[in-house]
Amino acid sequence: MNSPPQDTATRSIDAGDIEFGDGLEILLSTVFQAAEPGQTIDVATSSRSTALELPGWARSTGHSAERDWKETNGNGQRFVVRVRRGEAAPVLAPDLPSRGEPMPLRLGSQFHTTDLVNAAPERLPGSPDPGYGLIPLGAVPESGGPQYSWRLNHHDDLWAEEITDLTERASSAQWDATVDVPWNEALGLPDDVERAVAQVMTFIASNEYVALYVPSKFLPQVNSAFVDILMWLASHIHDEARHVEVFTKRALIGGQRGYALASTQMSLHSLLEEDDFSSASLLLNVLGEGTFIDLLGFISRNAPDAATAACARLAHRDEQRHVHFGISHVRRSQKLDPDSTPQLIGAVEARAAKLATLTGLSPVLLESLTILAAGSTRSASLRRGAAGVKELTRLMEVNRIRRLRAAGFDAETAHHLSELHTPNLM
Amino acid sequence: MSGPTLLVGAVAYHERVVPIWEIFREYFSARDVPVDYVLYSNYERQAEALLDGKIDIGWNTNTAFVRIRHVAGEPVRILGMRDVDSDWATLVVTRKGEGVEKVSELSGTRLALGSRDSGHAAILPLYYLAREGLDAVNDCELIRFDTDLGKHGDTGDSELRVLRAVADGEAGAGAVGAPIWASLKAKADPLISGLEVQWRSEDYYHCNFTVLGSMDRAVADRWSAALLAMDYNDPSLRYAMDLEGVKKWLPGDEKGYATLTEAMVQQGYFG
Repeated sequence: MNSPPQDTATRSIDAGDIEFGDGLEILLSTVFQAAEPGQTIDVATSSRSTALELPGWARSTGHSAERDWKETNGNGQRFVVRVRRGEAAPVLAPDLPSRGEPMPLRLGSQFHTTDLVNAAPERLPGSPDPGYGLIPLGAVPESGGPQYSWRLNHHDDLWAEEITDLTERASSAQWDATVDVPWNEALGLPDDVERAVAQVMTFIASNEYVALYVPSKFLPQVNSAFVDILMWLASHIHDEARHVEVFTKRALIGGQRGYALASTQMSLHSLLEEDDFSSASLLLNVLGEGTFIDLLGFISRNAPDAATAACARLAHRDEQRHVHFGISHVRRSQKLDPDSTPQLIGAVEARAAKLATLTGLSPVLLESLTILAAGSTRSASLRRGAAGVKELTRLMEVNRIRRLRAAGFDAETAHHLSELHTPNLM
Repeated sequence: MSGPTLLVGAVAYHERVVPIWEIFREYFSARDVPVDYVLYSNYERQAEALLDGKIDIGWNTNTAFVRIRHVAGEPVRILGMRDVDSDWATLVVTRKGEGVEKVSELSGTRLALGSRDSGHAAILPLYYLAREGLDAVNDCELIRFDTDLGKHGDTGDSELRVLRAVADGEAGAGAVGAPIWASLKAKADPLISGLEVQWRSEDYYHCNFTVLGSMDRAVADRWSAALLAMDYNDPSLRYAMDLEGVKKWLPGDEKGYATLTEAMVQQGYFG
């Protein structure tokens, strides 16, 4: 070791007996980051071993050890290493801005997603760089990260009024398909009724798959700057995963199995092929899930057991949010860009052309839905069930037109699109 | 105006050598000093290629540089080195609590050393310890880990074996380079949790870009200037510079190789 230098360092720090691996590197990092390149810092330690490690630490972090010496004072001896701060910036980004205003909270200490988005330090960009990284809202991005290539880069093409409120509601309305359904109530139905329920549940579960896959397909295409869209789609996906779960559980719980009908598969496949976000929203959210709201409402009122009714009721609640999004999004799209209307109509027509061979709800499904609503295969009950299904079909048509009108289509177009909607319902 | 493409030799001690040189190649090309690179499996073959004129520039370890200078029969020139090469050092470590005040106290212990061709983990430890009063060859039982010969210690494998031998009690002390110790410390590697540094050698130089004295001086100067202009704060270079373990390139000179040269002569490396 050498003798102490004549000149003094820019600053000094006594690290005591803290060692590398126990937090010394954090302490030093804080001190060196606050210093300017070229400034010198005397680091004192009571450990000879740590002093011998300091030059290696300095070099590996872009600084350089210049000199070392030993000092003796009342507390014994200490070892000092003078380190010059290097020029390397630890993070290739501008300095973080000074502390801003805290985020607003609502009554009950609630921090709402709407407030997060509205009060963020920077507004969500309308058309960010398609190479934007996985950068959380408000974060200062470092240069040198990889380039992404998002496909959906215009916020207006994806957004809907109340999207953050809908996401908020989705979070607070979570339910558990394992415990929130009185499953024991599903046991003990007669064979023919159980078979009918299993068929209807299998049909619904099949349709929930496409409701899961469509937002899942778009999510990884969405520019990561659109946190509101991402959170919405993720909540949608989460809802649908639970719907697949609950209807599969209900289909199988009684020991019966149902068909996954080719007509259903054909319909769903044509929906999954839609690559335009707004067209997919019209087909899935407005038309498909909209029609399903009526179907689920019907099942929750007419199910032969409390478990089936609960499955339908819980899913119905979620589907309302999805339909709300779809109507709001499609209406806004048409308002912002009137040219989008023919494109939306074209998407429904093109899908209908693909499904021209489907002429009505599958007889297998119609029969099962009737028995489910009847609760038995006795003729009086069946008559009642058949009447209920007929009324459901009428209600679906009326409500579909109503939703299309709410989504911004004129009366004639709404009728036209409703008629073109898949007989498979989704 | 671009000059002729210079051929740089590097030893493939790790797969990261390829992305480093792919990025560097692009960098040099953008500065009108185009390079291509050739990878060798060992420094002896690369030294031969430089001496035979098959490559223009060799990215050499200190051991390789000293050997080339010894056999070149003409002056050689250094075009640059990493910041980390300018103050490399050797550490002697023991298990914690050994309380070694002077290295001469290690007389009689089993001393673990890295690969025989590693300047920092084998050749220089013996040299510096002798200067500090420990004739390790005669007074210690040497345990050598001669792994990855030809790579001159670049892989770090032999140093890890040294540290394991000390940790396991197979050796009483071991010699390693300061950088590998710093990197293990930085990630709190359990291998060294029971070890501590007892001694640090003086600083010496490690790797450098070597050319023969016959190389066109203006071309060499232009290449060196481009190398030294690499900026660690440039996002397009940071990844490659991190892989290469450099934050700043320095011009380099020969004075930091004096002790290794003396050590290699003393230890019979030149026959």
